[in-house]
Amino acid sequence: MTLHIVSKSPYSSSALADCLRTCGNGDAIVLIEDGVYAAQTGSEKLQDFAGKAVFCLRADAEARGVAVTATVDEIDEARWVALCTEYRPIVSWFK
Amino acid sequence: MKNLEIAGREIPLDKEGFLRNLADWTPDVATALARSEGIELTEAHWEVLQLLQSFYREFELSPAMRPLVKYVGQHLGPDKGKSIYLMQLFPPSPAKVGSKIAGLPKPTNCL
Amino acid sequence: MSKSILALCRQAPYGNALAREGLEAVLAAAAMDQTPAVLFCGDGVFQLVQQSPEGIGEKNLRRNIQALPMFGVETLHICRASLQQRGIDPVAIELPGAEIQLVENTTAFIDGFDHVLSF
Repeated sequence: MTLHIVSKSPYSSSALADCLRTCGNGDAIVLIEDGVYAAQTGSEKLQDFAGKAVFCLRADAEARGVAVTATVDEIDEARWVALCTEYRPIVSWFK
Repeated sequence: MKNLEIAGREIPLDKEGFLRNLADWTPDVATALARSEGIELTEAHWEVLQLLQSFYREFELSPAMRPLVKYVGQHLGPDKGKSIYLMQLFPPSPAKVGSKIAGLPKPTNCL
Repeated sequence: MSKSILALCRQAPYGNALAREGLEAVLAAAAMDQTPAVLFCGDGVFQLVQQSPEGIGEKNLRRNIQALPMFGVETLHICRASLQQRGIDPVAIELPGAEIQLVENTTAFIDGFDHVLSF
């Protein structure tokens, strides 16, 4: 199962959209850096996450003042590293 | 690396001895570049140099060892499409030394 | 056992450096006998169309990609949906010496690799 890492805002980049197109059942998504904007409560991007395991780096969300919706799991760096060991391969969507 | 001087004309080289301006290449330049590598060019060298240049025209890049061997094999037959054959012509690194003498840029993927 | 590597190429050829960097990474890996698989998807499929970049002072990336079979990368994988979205006929991106394989399910395809390099 693949771990997808998205680091760009869904409003300025196709990174998240491209990721979602190839994200299958059982895959997981980690939102980092500007990727965390997709997790904002009330964001219209949230509907695309239905049925998917989505995580978001807490420090990046807090830094940007993003109020993360309840269906996205806020994690710290240690959990992120753990996820990277649980999934294979890892795909970065950074542009 | 010192620049080349051919028939009173100064040909600029980079620090590894590759031509700075690919348009400077002539057979005389090749002979001089080969000499600085300790190589006297023979017919066997020239046919490989021509292939290096046609590889560059076709793909716009200089070949690494493996594609050079394959390309030579396709055009000159399996006897010459061998790394040992090319190694004898252009020691110690045929892709790099051959590219230099053929007036191509240094292969970017040549470590 | 050696790990399987996929280069995921999803950028158009000249707007930024990633497309060229991806190709160079693939060529370097292939030269070191670590031949990766290559998947073009998204705007990456634009790397494969006929192009004439001389006027903008760039080297022809498609021409460079044509060297892949010489480096041991004989099959190019291409996302069919990305072609369709952009109105590109698969026939128009055929490369001499390379086998084109259209990928229907990129999810399953990507899942088959140990490592994915994104470009």
